[in-house]
Amino acid sequence: MAGFNRVGRRKIADALFVAFCTLAAVIALFALAAILTSLLVKGVSGINLAVFTQSTPAPESNGGLANAIVGSVLLCGAAMIGALTIGVLAGTWLAEFGGTSRYAAVIRFLNDVLLSAPSILIGLCVYYFAVRPVHGYNGWAGALALCLIATPVITRTTEDVLKLQSRQLRESGVALGAPFWVTVQKILWRAAGGGIITGALLAFARISGETAPLLFTSLGNQFMSFDMSKPISNLPAVIFQFGLSAYDDWQRLAWVGALLIAGAVLTINIFVRLISQEPKRS
Amino acid sequence: MTDASTPTAPAPEALETYLESVPADNIKLETRNLNFFYGKNKALHDVSIPFLNRSITALIGPSGCGKSTLLRALNRIYALYPGQRAEGEILLDGRNVLDKGVDLTELRARIGMVFQQPTPFPMSIYDNVAFGVRLYEKLSKTDMDERVEQSLKRAALWEEVKNKLQSPGLGLSGGQQQRLCVARTIAVQPEVILLDEPASALDPISTAKLEETLVELKADYAIVIVTHNLQQAARISDHASFMYLGRVIEFAQTEKLFDNPKVARTSDYITGRFG
Repeated sequence: MAGFNRVGRRKIADALFVAFCTLAAVIALFALAAILTSLLVKGVSGINLAVFTQSTPAPESNGGLANAIVGSVLLCGAAMIGALTIGVLAGTWLAEFGGTSRYAAVIRFLNDVLLSAPSILIGLCVYYFAVRPVHGYNGWAGALALCLIATPVITRTTEDVLKLQSRQLRESGVALGAPFWVTVQKILWRAAGGGIITGALLAFARISGETAPLLFTSLGNQFMSFDMSKPISNLPAVIFQFGLSAYDDWQRLAWVGALLIAGAVLTINIFVRLISQEPKRS
Repeated sequence: MTDASTPTAPAPEALETYLESVPADNIKLETRNLNFFYGKNKALHDVSIPFLNRSITALIGPSGCGKSTLLRALNRIYALYPGQRAEGEILLDGRNVLDKGVDLTELRARIGMVFQQPTPFPMSIYDNVAFGVRLYEKLSKTDMDERVEQSLKRAALWEEVKNKLQSPGLGLSGGQQQRLCVARTIAVQPEVILLDEPASALDPISTAKLEETLVELKADYAIVIVTHNLQQAARISDHASFMYLGRVIEFAQTEKLFDNPKVARTSDYITGRFG
């Protein structure tokens, strides 16, 4: 009967473990569902055409979020262009060229430090180097701050997914007579494409809601502006300002802004995943 | 440079078969006193071995004997890794490919290589084959189509993929992927083809197809194959070399090496007494 008892104990342990994992997953999903529900409940009612066509209003008057949407798109767009360029190249260097050298180890460590740096510190730093010297808050400084937050994420994921590619894949490109950098560009980047895109999406999701570094750098602007050298409006700062205000219509717009950010991240995620599907076996 | 800690291995003792079996004017590729180092470890000791035109040469021997190292020296793929180096001579049509001025990309276009694991590139079947060609030749669409078709036919894959050239190479079965890698290699029109245990990840039917392909390709190329499968070496190769501890122990026509080995260690290995 000892055998039966052991089997019985294993079954109980197995069931407990599965139950525990399921519970943890349910808790995580519950939090997500709660956030999304409150966003939808409080945000959807405020969505109308004016949100997309009018700029942020003074208290107790009508308006929308057009200037903040434009500002956020400009800031995130500029930041992502910079972060993708630097991040993919730096990650490639670390994985393919830096190797185990001491210099690469230092870069890798610093990148990890930057990866976990509080964003408010990055904002403060950019304030010192890109706002104070020019005597004015400006969009470029905000984009720089966001870029500094996004770059280490992309660098890290690029390095990791490139390292997952087999040695033989690298060698077979080179063995055909392709120079190594051509092999990296045309074969390895493509093979690692899905992972690099995931890294870029994570980075985008991370910066799309960043508020602290933008308060130090781009500040905000209650009017529509496309000029990145001047203060520029952005959704997170508007949410921060309007959400804490005492005015009902401002609070409603803050919820709409939050819903827009969540919706944008979700939409871009789904869209990018659709166009970059991994090849399936035929 | 000799490392005292390196285990000593027997020197080549059976060169008379080498001399009688190799017509000097038919040698495509040849190593002379080739030594190879992984950092301080010496992996090849004075390896001298010829590879002939229109012939398959098999490298056999127990694991770690230096077969793959020798193969990887021939197209200098080892140069990707700092710390690995070769000394001595590797003569391709009489010219030493270890010389400093040698263009490595051109060398590798002339000496193609197929690996143990199939490694299709993450692109369509067509692009897999065209990839190497595009590096060196500007072909019209028609010419490229023709080249891709010919290469796939010679690799005995055309019939299976001709209706899905635009689907991804990674979607093929393992055996098909390996033949795709062969097609990709011959599309560049190399002069020598190196194969590093190309069938070890394949099932028997795919292996048989690959072997047929190699025997057909022999008509135009010098082929060097590393294999752990002695039957395979006996079936397809014209010459064979038994290696042990980084040295060539015996080199001969395949029949002679298998039926009448000159060195005791060779016959021990072939009859399964060790290794």
